[in-house]
Amino acid sequence: MSDYPAALTEIVDLFEHLPEDEKRENLIVYADAAAACGPAEGETFDLEDVRKDEECTDTVGVFLRVDPATRAAHFRVNLGPQVQTLTKAMTAILCQGLEGATPEAVLAVPQDFVPKIVGGQLVRLRSQTVYYILTRMKSACKVWLNRERTAAGA
Amino acid sequence: MNSKFSAYAHPEALVDGEWLSAHLDDPKIRIVESNEDVLLYDTGHIPGAVHIDWRGDLQDDLTRDYVTPEGFAAVCAKNGITPETTVVFYGDKSNWWACYALWAFQLFGHRNVKVLDGGRDKWIAEGRPITREKVKYSPTEYPVPARRRDDDIRAFYADTLAHARAKRPLIDVRSPGEYRGEITHMPEYPQEGVLRGGHVPGARSVPWKTAANDDGTFKSFDELKAIYTDKLGLKPDDEIVAYCRIGERSSHTWFVLNYLLGYPNVRNYDGSWTEWGNMVRAPIAKGEAAG
Repeated sequence: MSDYPAALTEIVDLFEHLPEDEKRENLIVYADAAAACGPAEGETFDLEDVRKDEECTDTVGVFLRVDPATRAAHFRVNLGPQVQTLTKAMTAILCQGLEGATPEAVLAVPQDFVPKIVGGQLVRLRSQTVYYILTRMKSACKVWLNRERTAAGA
Repeated sequence: MNSKFSAYAHPEALVDGEWLSAHLDDPKIRIVESNEDVLLYDTGHIPGAVHIDWRGDLQDDLTRDYVTPEGFAAVCAKNGITPETTVVFYGDKSNWWACYALWAFQLFGHRNVKVLDGGRDKWIAEGRPITREKVKYSPTEYPVPARRRDDDIRAFYADTLAHARAKRPLIDVRSPGEYRGEITHMPEYPQEGVLRGGHVPGARSVPWKTAANDDGTFKSFDELKAIYTDKLGLKPDDEIVAYCRIGERSSHTWFVLNYLLGYPNVRNYDGSWTEWGNMVRAPIAKGEAAG
């Protein structure tokens, strides 16, 4: 049994047994969808983290809103134009795969799903690219949980 | 011919979009895309182009080295390339990886090589066609090269150390901050585990970007001559070594010096700073001065 949220499990199941060529084709489909992952006009968030890190070739903005009643997390991610294609693909995959998971569940997602999706070859070739967006999303959840704890203790 | 190209020492080594557009269906040509972005080719490429990855196809899986002559022959055969095929390279990042792939082809003696001036971005900016269709070429029988030309166009650590001690021309093509030792990687790029910053003693700083225009094309012969011949003082019979961080930016400079300015004895130190900056007791200079 995997520790992935259900939507992410579906994506992993889709990719896992595909040959490398078909993995790449599907990654491009997801990369194309990344542009639609940004925040819509008027959307509000609990946390906005926009920055340019050394690990990525351009600015990445991670926006998080957590439903107070259900604790369901909703991510939006804004990517600068120089961001690499693999990062775009991982953005769309994670926005879809982590949609509605709790912040705790996002933090608990093990990284081992990444090679199952992108394939061992791409992980080997560009290892620093494939984990970046997940790290940023987890970081946002960690900050959100810290704030929640602080508020509860106040 | 493009009027800018005719002034270069080897004008035949460059093509422009107009030329390539007219040769898209030329069976004697193979267009090769080489990028930093590993999936960029899949998002769209020049019709008929194949993808050769600088790491996945040209480097050994285990050892930090290039593929063997057998491995190179297999890459060519898979992409329908014969020794007679003219390979036209292009890519992202102002053709860094295109020049790197071209240099690697030269390591194996494949001399029929060209670069698309301005690379991928200029081709797209000119409104030229891009496709996601991947053409499968019939495999060829590429003969295994007799040797890899490591002695001719490649420098190793010991070569570079001897070169520095002999005070021969050594060009550091990294950013000024890397040269001075303030940072150990390119601005906006990940740290790749280099323990010391600075430059090889005696190396002069000429960032690769000084040879390129904003649109990724190479500067004119006169502009390049002013940079490397007049200001840096390189002489025709000089033995020159260029280096950067992992050998990609210095491939760009190697191409400029060798093909555009006609310096015949230029080597690329592909171990570059990720080797030198980690080497125990390697001499290092810091700051603006060559040292």
